[in-house]
Amino acid sequence: MFKRTCTRAIIPVALTMTGFVAVCCFLLYSVIKADITESTIRYSVDLADTIIKSARYTMLKDDRETLQRIIDNIGEQQNIRHVRIFNKKGLIMFSADPAENNRLVDKSAAGCLGCHEGPEPLSLSRDAMEKARQFQNADGEGVLAITAPIYNEPSCISSACHFHGEDQQMLGILDIGLSRSPLDRTLSLLGWRMLGFSFMILILSVGGVAALLTKSVFEPIRILDDHAQRAADGQLERDLPELEGDLGRIAKNHRRMAEQLRQARSESANPDQKIQP
Amino acid sequence: MNRSSETRSEMRDDPRRKCLREIRDLRSRAGRGLWAMALFLVVSLGAFSDFDFLPPLPPSWMKILGPGPPVWLINSFLVLYSFSALLLILARMMQGSETFRGFGHVGYLTGFFIFYHFSGAMEENFWAIFTAGVTILGLESYHQWVRFAEAIRKAEETLIRLEKN
Repeated sequence: MFKRTCTRAIIPVALTMTGFVAVCCFLLYSVIKADITESTIRYSVDLADTIIKSARYTMLKDDRETLQRIIDNIGEQQNIRHVRIFNKKGLIMFSADPAENNRLVDKSAAGCLGCHEGPEPLSLSRDAMEKARQFQNADGEGVLAITAPIYNEPSCISSACHFHGEDQQMLGILDIGLSRSPLDRTLSLLGWRMLGFSFMILILSVGGVAALLTKSVFEPIRILDDHAQRAADGQLERDLPELEGDLGRIAKNHRRMAEQLRQARSESANPDQKIQP
Repeated sequence: MNRSSETRSEMRDDPRRKCLREIRDLRSRAGRGLWAMALFLVVSLGAFSDFDFLPPLPPSWMKILGPGPPVWLINSFLVLYSFSALLLILARMMQGSETFRGFGHVGYLTGFFIFYHFSGAMEENFWAIFTAGVTILGLESYHQWVRFAEAIRKAEETLIRLEKN
């Protein structure tokens, strides 16, 4: 199999191109995946901040019913998996899931371990990317959760309805979990499209190189080889077809050699023919 | 008398033995690519689990080493390395060179695995290094195999000629 020039020439080209395109595709996919994930996390952090800002007035007015309604409405959204506000002690004050209200957050749950794994919980005043955690919920679904702190502000301290001390830096935490399914679907689609695109590029480039080499080099070589074999077997009647380029020159010399051989044979077969006028 | 006839027979057998030794040597050199590939597969097996079977480095060592390089930098070097390695192997194939750099490539690829491990990006980039390794070592093995298969064929022809004589 590997003795044929055609195979020997095409295998390294095909292997090199396939391998390099695959490496570039894997790296490109990894970079695009990181970029899309980062963009989704930033969008989710902005969403969490928007919820806090929208609910701030109800908190100032201590309007618990409206705040609960806001949380319920957010929780009804298709891709929201959980939304809850808990105080610094971890007591859930408002949750889209009524069963969670007035319960302590389970710090050993998959979604909490990211920050509470060590002896001291991680600080909340972190970069937007670090506010996100990714885990699988009890249903086995990937969840992207954002933990956004609700800070104490001058308006909270001076509020008439309820009071928070000036030394209290953080009043509570908003925890919102979004399904990763849309993100995973987009990434999967991107992966398949890249695979299809790479496959087409490989077919075109490797197929193109193979077709051109076959047409311009291997097929003329096969014709020359065939003719040389026939000449060696004594079948000099069949003429060599016209070839182009360097191989055309070889074919011309081949034809001349075959003609000379034919003449030499006819002379040796009829020695009298040579001395005839 | 008997001893001298044995020596003469050995002398006559000497080119044959030399030829056999050469064929054996060529066969072992033709298989070097496969050894390098096997070594790379073993390293990849460890990298697939992000080297979780190894004990973690002590914090003092981690402090000395500092944070891992940015992933985009490792990615860029991996593309550059794969491109130049493939180009150099193709150039050696054109020259018909016997030089084998398979084990060196296993070292470089292991280095990439280590860098990705310390940057925490092994999961996303494992298949990129694995494909790069299989391609580079596959091409290197193919080159060695084709190169030495020709030499083995010639040596075998010589051996047949020697045996006929």
